[in-house]
Amino acid sequence: MKRFWIACGALSVLLLAGCGGGKEESAKKEEAAPAPAAAPIDEANAATVTGKVSFEGTAPKMATIDMSANPACAREHSTAQKSEEVVVNGNGTLRYVFVWVKQGVPDRQWPAGAPVELDQKGCMYAPHVIGVMTGQNIEIKNNDPTNHNIHPLPRINQEWNQSQPPKGEALIKSFPREEVMIPVKCNVHPWMRSYIGVVSHPFFAVTGEDGTFTIKGLPPGNYTIEAWHEKYGTQDLPVTVAPKESKTVDFSFKG
Amino acid sequence: MSDLDKDPVVHSSLSRPLFIASMALLVCLGWALYDEVYGIRPWKRYEAQFVRLYRRFLHSARPGELALEKQIRSSPEYQKLDREMQAAEKAVAAQAGSIDREVNQMLVPQIMALNEPFQEVRSHIGALTYEIETSHSQSHKESLRREIEEIKKEVKTVKLPMPDGSTKTVQHDFGAMDRQLQDWKNRKAELLQQRVELMKPATQLRAQRDKYLSDRIPDVSAETIAGLERKLDTFDISIRQIHIKDVDLVDRCESCHLGTREPVTITKAAMGGREVFVSHPEKELLKVHDPERFGCTPCHGGNGVALTSVEKAHGYNEHWLWPMHARENFEAGCQQCHNKEIVTEMAPTLDAGREIFRLRGCIGCHRYEGFDPDNDELADVNQQIRMLEQQKAEMLREVGFSVQKGDRTRDNAEAQRLYQHANDLRVRASGLDAKMEQFDMRSRELVREIKKVGPDLKEARVKLRKEWIPVWLKDPHQWREGTKMPTFRLDDEEIHAIAAFIWQSGLEGDLPKNPPGDAEKGKEAFETRGCMACHSMGEGAQKLGGTFAANLTREGEKANYDYLVRWIHNPRQRTAPFCPLEKRDLTAADYQRHNLPFVFDQDHTKCPNDGHEIEWMQPTPMPSLRLTIEEARDIATYLMTRKHANASYANADYMDDPKLKARGEYLVRFYGCAGCHEIKGLEEEQRIGTELTKEGSKPIERLDFALLGHEAEREGWYTHKGFFEHKLKNPAIYDQGKEKAKQDRLKMPNFNLSKAEIDQVTTLLLGSVDSTVPARYYYNPGDARQDIIQGWWVIRKYNCMGCHPVHVGQTTVFMTLPRYQDPDWKDQRPPTLIGEGARVNPEWLERFLANPALSDTDTNRDGVRQYLKARMPTFYFSDGEIRKLVRFFEAMSSQAEPYIAQKLDPLTDQERTMARQLFTSEGAPCLKCHITGDPKHDARATAPSFLVAKDRLKPGWTRRWMLDPAMMAPGTAMPSGLFRQEGDRYVFAGPTPASFQGYPKDHAQLLVRYMFQFTPDELNRLRASAGSSAGR
Repeated sequence: MKRFWIACGALSVLLLAGCGGGKEESAKKEEAAPAPAAAPIDEANAATVTGKVSFEGTAPKMATIDMSANPACAREHSTAQKSEEVVVNGNGTLRYVFVWVKQGVPDRQWPAGAPVELDQKGCMYAPHVIGVMTGQNIEIKNNDPTNHNIHPLPRINQEWNQSQPPKGEALIKSFPREEVMIPVKCNVHPWMRSYIGVVSHPFFAVTGEDGTFTIKGLPPGNYTIEAWHEKYGTQDLPVTVAPKESKTVDFSFKG
Repeated sequence: MSDLDKDPVVHSSLSRPLFIASMALLVCLGWALYDEVYGIRPWKRYEAQFVRLYRRFLHSARPGELALEKQIRSSPEYQKLDREMQAAEKAVAAQAGSIDREVNQMLVPQIMALNEPFQEVRSHIGALTYEIETSHSQSHKESLRREIEEIKKEVKTVKLPMPDGSTKTVQHDFGAMDRQLQDWKNRKAELLQQRVELMKPATQLRAQRDKYLSDRIPDVSAETIAGLERKLDTFDISIRQIHIKDVDLVDRCESCHLGTREPVTITKAAMGGREVFVSHPEKELLKVHDPERFGCTPCHGGNGVALTSVEKAHGYNEHWLWPMHARENFEAGCQQCHNKEIVTEMAPTLDAGREIFRLRGCIGCHRYEGFDPDNDELADVNQQIRMLEQQKAEMLREVGFSVQKGDRTRDNAEAQRLYQHANDLRVRASGLDAKMEQFDMRSRELVREIKKVGPDLKEARVKLRKEWIPVWLKDPHQWREGTKMPTFRLDDEEIHAIAAFIWQSGLEGDLPKNPPGDAEKGKEAFETRGCMACHSMGEGAQKLGGTFAANLTREGEKANYDYLVRWIHNPRQRTAPFCPLEKRDLTAADYQRHNLPFVFDQDHTKCPNDGHEIEWMQPTPMPSLRLTIEEARDIATYLMTRKHANASYANADYMDDPKLKARGEYLVRFYGCAGCHEIKGLEEEQRIGTELTKEGSKPIERLDFALLGHEAEREGWYTHKGFFEHKLKNPAIYDQGKEKAKQDRLKMPNFNLSKAEIDQVTTLLLGSVDSTVPARYYYNPGDARQDIIQGWWVIRKYNCMGCHPVHVGQTTVFMTLPRYQDPDWKDQRPPTLIGEGARVNPEWLERFLANPALSDTDTNRDGVRQYLKARMPTFYFSDGEIRKLVRFFEAMSSQAEPYIAQKLDPLTDQERTMARQLFTSEGAPCLKCHITGDPKHDARATAPSFLVAKDRLKPGWTRRWMLDPAMMAPGTAMPSGLFRQEGDRYVFAGPTPASFQGYPKDHAQLLVRYMFQFTPDELNRLRASAGSSAGR
């Protein structure tokens, strides 16, 4: 008798188990939230980071560019051009250093600026180093009486190589992904070299003739600032800014 | 207690047990019913769940798609197309309307009205006609014919509907009705055709508009989703099966795997984590192998018919012979039909497994059908030659008989017939000669095509440091991580004997003494000439380069400098040639006897003693880079600096002890060393391992798990997969616990394969089955695709893919080297061979492969790209290999065979002037990058000379390349945008010389035609005028 009951019990348990199956897990929505639209920078509370990039040691002698095989290029210059790999300013600072906020910028859409110009003049890129935001247009001009081809060699973005006739129509290009830096070359004139820093926010600058940089409009917070130079590599420095505060961050590269 | 008390009828009620029993019965019934409907049909639950989850997914997918669609629909481009389409429709609306009215309101109803009486009469006539045909009486036939005539004359009254709603009564006989109907039908067809013509512009615009939309929606449109949702509403819970009748294959997998072929991509996350419902991850693969023709289980394994449980359906129950392949071995399913290939596209795991099997030397001990194509072909060719010889002898015998018979016969006609027969046979026999000659040539080539996995040990004495050999034998992987040479479980006595035998059987030869080179230069050359496409340098995380050949980080510890110089200068050079007929290495004395110099190379391939084809080169795939002897010295000097500083080697004088030699030879034979190495006296050794061609279908009982059988069953690896994986991880594993003498233990050495590599080899072995699928499933095409199969073997054999991208999506070693990431070095990567067949003239390719310098005298260069530091080496391909490679590239690019060059219109004088002017104008950069022959300029050139274009290129490709080079080779130095489209022709995008004014033809085609008649003089003239124009 006892066994019989056990059997009955077992049967009903089985039955219940059978009915209870198929309980489904709730599906999770794995869609990324759409990025909020670009809001203007809160100028009232914005902080500023300024600084200068100094150079220690003796400036290396830059190679003279031989344009003799390309008279159309040589004619544009009264004196022989030097490579722009390392340019030390008169005040002992370093030109063409790309300074940008590498870490700490809030993850949001930032308003992009007007198109940035990259000119080809006398078979040299002008300027040698530029910075743009992701998606910001670069207006590439050819002011030379000769053909150029613009060939960026990114590792993250897509590579392209476009021919541009003498004094041809400007090319409008942009890069969709952050990448520091993208080298640009011209296959026709192998000495031509430029670098484009593509950053997902507007907090970047390139040092000029006085070797200083200014990054404006930063929301208060903790940041890592990176300085990049094509020959001397990168340096990182931390900085914390309060609302409306101005801080100085100085870099120094050894020659 | 009285007896009455005990009366069960009175005192005990049975109602309780009866109630319980009936309840139990009811429960059983309920259970049985449930089991019948659901229990043994779990797929029903799956289907119900799928419908629920899929509907939810489609519902959630819809708004996203809709929003995107809405956005596109409101874009100005779409709106414009839409407006144009509407306008076009409106413009013809009136005409189309009148046509529609005439057709729909008049013609169609009238045709229908008249058709009815007409058909009635016609069928009556038909019936009578049949009666005439079947009647036997002539008079009856006549009367029937009269009857038909009468019916035809009969006049019918028909009421025809008119467009205004009224009816018109007409009276027609049969003929009139027929004519009237035909007229109306013709008119209707004419009107409909008119309508189509009328609507054509609008229809085209509508297609354009819809294409604009579909081009911009990445996945599927909202409409498709709505359609899928509607389909779900009528979803029928039933078994879904594929039945392939001719092979009687039934696969019901899709009863649960319902998302497999859905048009939208269904992910696991989208289906609430239920992986069973995801789409097939390779839609491309399903296009090639349509499940309606191939089913599921022929590729995946499992039991396609079973539906009662997941375990049974997947074939994981006991005694099912074809369990479903595990995820890491999925591609085993490819191998069973693609068993002639070394490369199967879209099967990377399997390809890697095959490559290990070939390259790491599994093939040295284990035969695998098709994996040793050269040896197999050699055997086959020799067999064919013997057969043809026999056939020819038989034919000639028959000729004799036939002539004899003819001589004897009395009848002239019969004699003529017999003589003719004899002549025919002679001609056919001469045809066999041609065939035999081909085979004979092939057999000679094959001698040189055969390569060994490991180095030639006959050279050990001249090549190696003596003390290093025993250290290496002890544990090659300890000395050089990841090497091909596996670790044998040798004790010291065995190592001593083997080392002694190798040393003592080595050839003695005099190597020329070389002065030291420049290690610095050698390093640069090693890193840029192309050595690293096969060889790696550095250890651990510092390792860079290819895995095809040895890591050379410690080369300086083991090698002899002078040998290294010879090897780098020409790796195929041997110390002595081998004569397969005499089965011995020839010596200078053999040559001297016949007054011949001791020279054996590409041009001296015959044995001086018997004229037999000798083995004159080392059986290595390593090519010659055509380096100067100085550069070879530099590289050798660099390699000799590569060593561990603290390495020391114990004295090994015992290796000269002749007493050890016999024991050593026994062991070398015992361990099957000759499977991978060329060894003196063991040139014709057979493989010592078991054949693996069908290893995956060997009955499991015949796989020797030894003492581990029970453990394997307990732990769930008593399967083919488990056996292979454990064996590959530890080849001695099935000796565990066994009492065996040393010579009876398992011999297979340890290859130190990684987990991924074990999976790859296991995949190959699991696919190596005596398949049950019918012959038509096997991939053994008879067309150009066979050329691709054959070509891959050669490509793999010589590691072409180390330098060149050969198929889409492939990475070369150069792409991984840090130096070649630099913008200036990127152009130094060897060229892509994707589309090579469409690019080059096959006859040129044939010449180039045989002689990549394209010169017999100036060999220290590349024939096409002199500007590359890496150099296309000379592989000493046989004619057969060249043929296979050329055909491979042609087939990969779908080129017709044989190649007939496209005819180009000759240039007019004016056109030549135009092309010259354009080539040298500042707007055209051609001569800036392409080689011009001016050494100063060419030092910086990054593209081939135009002089080789005519012989090398195909004109169609050349034009496509100029128009959009980035399409064929993204990242190429050749810029895009040199031409722009203008109507149906392309014009140069920059400023054109004045002479181009009014020129109506295609500019790109003009330059192609110019390039294809280029001469050295023309190039000189261009160079001169480019200089002068630039100087102005």
